[in-house]
Amino acid sequence: MQVTETLNEGLKRGFSLRIPAADIDARVENAVAEVAPRVRMPGFRPGKVPGNLIRRMHGAALRQEAIREAVDEGLKALIGERQLRPAMQPSVDLDRLPDDGEDLVVSVDMEILPEVPEVLTEGIALERLVVEVDEAEVEAALARLAEQQKRFVEAEPGHAARRGDLVVMDFRGTVGGEPFEGGTGTGMEIALGSGRLIPGFEAQLEGAIAGEERTVRLTIPADYPAPAIAGKEAEFAVTVTAVRVPEIPAVDDALAKNLGLDGLGTLRELLKEQLERELAPLTRTYMKRKLLDHLAAQVDFDVPPSMVEAEFQTIWAQLTEGMSEEERAAAEAERGDYMRIATRRVRLGLLLSDIGQKAGIGITQAEMNRLVAEEAARYPGQEAEVRKYFAENPMAAAQLRAPLYEEKVVDHLLAKAAITERRVTRAELEAAIASEDETPLSRLPAHGEPGHVHGPDCDHADARAEPAKPKRAARAKAAEAEEGGADAPAASEPKPTRKRAPKAGAE
Amino acid sequence: MAKDKAQAVDLRHYDVVRRPLITEKTTRVGEHNQVVFEVARGATKPEIRAAVEALFGVKVTAVNTLVAKGKAGRWRGRPYVRSDVKKAFVTLAPGQSIDVTTGV
Repeated sequence: MQVTETLNEGLKRGFSLRIPAADIDARVENAVAEVAPRVRMPGFRPGKVPGNLIRRMHGAALRQEAIREAVDEGLKALIGERQLRPAMQPSVDLDRLPDDGEDLVVSVDMEILPEVPEVLTEGIALERLVVEVDEAEVEAALARLAEQQKRFVEAEPGHAARRGDLVVMDFRGTVGGEPFEGGTGTGMEIALGSGRLIPGFEAQLEGAIAGEERTVRLTIPADYPAPAIAGKEAEFAVTVTAVRVPEIPAVDDALAKNLGLDGLGTLRELLKEQLERELAPLTRTYMKRKLLDHLAAQVDFDVPPSMVEAEFQTIWAQLTEGMSEEERAAAEAERGDYMRIATRRVRLGLLLSDIGQKAGIGITQAEMNRLVAEEAARYPGQEAEVRKYFAENPMAAAQLRAPLYEEKVVDHLLAKAAITERRVTRAELEAAIASEDETPLSRLPAHGEPGHVHGPDCDHADARAEPAKPKRAARAKAAEAEEGGADAPAASEPKPTRKRAPKAGAE
Repeated sequence: MAKDKAQAVDLRHYDVVRRPLITEKTTRVGEHNQVVFEVARGATKPEIRAAVEALFGVKVTAVNTLVAKGKAGRWRGRPYVRSDVKKAFVTLAPGQSIDVTTGV
């Protein structure tokens, strides 16, 4: 096998492989010898077909197979010999199928993974923003809880209905003197201000008292589902049968008991814990983001364009999914920003996987089993199939493994980092996460590229990131993408972001 | 190709030589420079020789023939007989060969 390098530019490599005809012939010969005992042909006992007949019947197919094998092996040898680490599957171009006795010439193009420079992983200065759940918040949560427990009680006679009150009524609606379908009802309960009825209806009921009869006149909106009456003047004869006012239970032991708890104290503790649980991931999100910022600022190396392109396509597909034409056009203008995001994500991904490898971080079989079990649990009744799928698809398993791997690397880095604690309020923490500030706390200058995620083909750790929601202002967009890169938990996510499924595999 | 030439020669040769027989046995006799064909039931040795020589452009030194009698059988009680098949073992002049897999 002869190899000539045709291209060596940045991370791109091009080679031309020449595989001698004799090599291919030998492979065909082997293939014939291999299939001979299994070939069936009329007129021959199984396995007794002479070799030259096999070659004549199946020669072309065997030859193609042989060429494919030769190319594969040549490629493997090439990669092994030159110590190349391809970023993606190398693209192989067969100039043309050679005739018998002709050498096979193949051109190979690939992108190699860049050399990841050493980064300082020890003692990265980070801040842990700890949010103390204060009493006021617990009280607020209690109030919300009580609000959810509210009941409606019959109002005193003569009470005029206000917003928030529940009105029970019979009504009969007409359009142009004619009753229409769905225009009559009895004993209908409607909370004023809930907006469940035609706009204006509820407002005209305000001030009603039990037993009162009223006439409500309004215009049915043009987009009303029933086209026969849409946009027409309607008249409703309403008889208010009852007015009920909401009663919010007092915050006391009785409320807690209602919820099946011992007393108010337990309820308070429970709520506090819940709030803390909500905040813990936010704290981590912030730290992780700062960590990634720090890493991104430390290094700058070329990344394979094809990986960036793949990453970009993923982001782009998510972004433009379900977008209108105009929105798409607007997003188009920010293409450069997303390209930048993609580049940073790929770079950080390479970096993290490199750090992980050097630190000897791996995913154990037990952890893998747990991941698969979790995934399987999401498809009740098909657990066995899911398990089988992951067992048989290394790519899928890698995708499953990637986020955990990344988390472990981050944990590893955090364990070594110099962390200072700072007490902040919840609002401050959220603001910090949403901010665009990418300055790491250590001495290095800001680099300026938001969060990290991986393309479907890169073979290393990946962040579960949510790229920005398109409609926002550019400012919010960048900040949010950043937040996404930091693996924000969906539960405590303050903004509507798109959750991105983990892609790509860890090694 | 020989085929085109043969066509120019005479179409009736195709009626004489029906198809080559490719079996374990015929590949073995192939080692003695013989080729086996299924031929028309009424074909004579001189006809077969002429046909093979014309169709494949070879020199034939000998033709041996046999008629394999069709098997007799019964189906729903009724006896029947399968068609007889005439085979021709054609010996070629030394150094000559026919690619049997291409057919007639």
